[in-house]
Amino acid sequence: MPSQTTTPYDIVASYRRLLSEDPDLTQPVAAIESLILGLANTPATTVSETLDLVSTLTAQLKAGIPNSISLSAGTDLFQQYLITNLQRPSARGDFDQIRSHLVQNGRLFVERAKAARADIAGYGRHFIRDGNTVLTNGGSRVVGALLRNAAESGNGRGRGTIRFRVIYVGSPSGCGKSASDNETAANIAALRERDIPVAEIPPTAIAYCMDTVTSCFVGAEGVVENGGIVSRLGTYQMAVLAKAAGKPFYVVSESHKFVRLYPLGQRDLGIDQRVVEFKTGKGVVVESARGQTDGEGGDSLVVGESKVDYTPPSFINGIITEVGVLLPSAVSEELIKIWF
Amino acid sequence: MPSSTVAQTPSLSTYLKSLKHNDIETSIELFISLLKRRQIKNARPCAIATINLLLRVVGESRIRDAQQLIERIREVGRRLVAAQPREMTVGNIVRRVLEAVREVAERDQDAANGGDSGSISMPSTPISGEPQRRPDYRSRFSEFTPLQGISTQPQDMYARAQAPGERPGTSSSFMDNVAQRPPMASSVASYAGQAPSTTSLFSILQQHPPGRSPFATPPTGTQSPALKSSPTRSEESGADKFDMKAEAINSIQDIQQELDDVDNEISEFAQDHIHNNEIILTHTSSHTVQKFLMKAASKKRKFTVFHAEAYPNNHLETYATIINGGSANSQDADERWKPLTSMGITVILIPDSAVFAIMSRINKVLLAPHTVLANGSIVAAAGASTIALAAKTHRVPVVVLSGVYKLSPVYPFDTDDLVEYGDPGKVVDFQDGEFMDGVDVVNPVYDHVDAELIDLYVTNLGGCAPSYLYRIVADHYRVEDIDLSAKAEAEVEGG
Repeated sequence: MPSQTTTPYDIVASYRRLLSEDPDLTQPVAAIESLILGLANTPATTVSETLDLVSTLTAQLKAGIPNSISLSAGTDLFQQYLITNLQRPSARGDFDQIRSHLVQNGRLFVERAKAARADIAGYGRHFIRDGNTVLTNGGSRVVGALLRNAAESGNGRGRGTIRFRVIYVGSPSGCGKSASDNETAANIAALRERDIPVAEIPPTAIAYCMDTVTSCFVGAEGVVENGGIVSRLGTYQMAVLAKAAGKPFYVVSESHKFVRLYPLGQRDLGIDQRVVEFKTGKGVVVESARGQTDGEGGDSLVVGESKVDYTPPSFINGIITEVGVLLPSAVSEELIKIWF
Repeated sequence: MPSSTVAQTPSLSTYLKSLKHNDIETSIELFISLLKRRQIKNARPCAIATINLLLRVVGESRIRDAQQLIERIREVGRRLVAAQPREMTVGNIVRRVLEAVREVAERDQDAANGGDSGSISMPSTPISGEPQRRPDYRSRFSEFTPLQGISTQPQDMYARAQAPGERPGTSSSFMDNVAQRPPMASSVASYAGQAPSTTSLFSILQQHPPGRSPFATPPTGTQSPALKSSPTRSEESGADKFDMKAEAINSIQDIQQELDDVDNEISEFAQDHIHNNEIILTHTSSHTVQKFLMKAASKKRKFTVFHAEAYPNNHLETYATIINGGSANSQDADERWKPLTSMGITVILIPDSAVFAIMSRINKVLLAPHTVLANGSIVAAAGASTIALAAKTHRVPVVVLSGVYKLSPVYPFDTDDLVEYGDPGKVVDFQDGEFMDGVDVVNPVYDHVDAELIDLYVTNLGGCAPSYLYRIVADHYRVEDIDLSAKAEAEVEGG
């Protein structure tokens, strides 16, 4: 928990604040921003001090947020960037310069991240052809941008030349209007306004409609090392059904979401989420959570909308990033480049 | 039109002869018309014609500046690709030539920057401590996103540190090539003074905007600032510029050599894949496959070949190949070879419909593609898809033999577009009027085979899995060359 004595900077609060203030911000970028703010708030004059500070703050952040997979992509990226740039003997750009560059340009990184989204939309647009029916689960801003871009492509009047249809899979929990639900509703409205027919279906109807679908697009919270993705609960289901029906399944994600995690299964993600909770007449059957230190719900328990699942790379046909379309097998190479 | 060979049907050999006496523009126009009329078709002839044409273009151009040369090649390439977009080999060769020229220019650039050559090995790399051990894992993040045809992998800037010349000689395994490539930091040396960061994931934090800066596309980026100050270079490099052209021509000739050697290099691997008493299935009259099998036969392997006839588009050539070996009217004399049967190999011709029935007895399937796409799938002669699906059902390994020149960096957004349709008269005779009136007859010449159905690629560099092709693409092509359109070049230059 954030220690108030030595580091008065509360990174968890800062992170949450950044996310709530800017709905377009992704978790990794918010993590980077909050780390930068932490750097700015805490004077550090040596390289070791800085790196130490960053790792302390990162640990605090990960401890304070239940689902830390996505943000860990950002923190890892930031840490590696610092390590590589600060620890070289003939450091080009010395310490102060780098630090001030980071501290002053927080907004710039955010803008770049958002620009990445536009680039991805530009790429992904080519996957959508005349007459296609696209299936997507909601809650992803990148997919929304991609579809809007496809809807508008071709002429300047806002009515595009690609005639396609979209099927949005509704949120599973139905627990009221959350941020991602609002995002989805806004996307749907934008598409409908551009004369793109949009249907909303419950998750139970995915298999039913799969034969009419041409391709599936989903967003991701994190892209893991083997090319699989960690995404909102229900994505894996869609991937399995798409594969069974022979439909291409594309993941749309910025490249800063690549995270150095290699899960072997759904329960290997390193987070605690009680998706399957057994109850008897006597109450909830509590399994001893291996590897989790908290026995009860509370801080480290992922609840509601934030539940995630893992989709293995064999179900994914391509990962559309701002760098191009990557095959799942190419992801590990990207990660190795920064981690060595 | 060449007047000296009026009597002959235009084809690759007449074109190559005419190249010698026609001027450039005529040659280009001639090639375009040959492509459009499908008088030059199939991957290898198109590749050979393209490389010869580009060799002449480079040789004859009076352009002194690398950037202009690149622009000229792009312009020619655009026209060629537009003439017959489905002949992707044409585009591949254009991009290979561009890559060769860019690399030569970078090397020159690097030499011009002189003193930095001492520090090439280093320190501007973020890889502290062990930069030299890392031959390939440096990639340039390119913000420039070509909109048609997209690489499946960010370009590896140092992958082609050695000129293409290295490749033809080494038919050694692919891994050897990977290990041999030194970390040529030619472009990095030019970054002197700028913040390092060439890995893609770091781009978000770079000190320079990853947009249209020298970082974005280092080869052109580093060339432009220096080339714009070319007066300083030109003082010492009147001879150097000529050297650059000569070196570029050398590189292109290396690619030409590679094209010539491709079948031989692939067949070097025949012994690894064809064993005694095996039953192999193949189709069409592909030279690559025939030479591959011939090589195995010459090593005293005794095997059986089931040859599907590829009706209606290729069956006559298939019969000729089985009976006579290399066809008598092929382009050059050394294309002829003895038929497999003369080496004691049993060849059984089967109709395409029998493929599934036979498949349970087949050990291995050999396919030769028309194009290999960057996601691991192929476009091959019609019938390949049936064979591949049958093979999957019976768990038979499918091996694709293909030179690297057939590998296209273009991502196939729509695989239907890649299939060409041919003469329906071959399926149902036009004389059968009543039938033709009532029925739509289509004759697809090609088939798209998905990456999942293919088990192994054997290229002139060695064997590789379909999921690894993205690396070969990254090693041979530059990201900024994938989109050849003028608009793309303007964006890159616009800075």
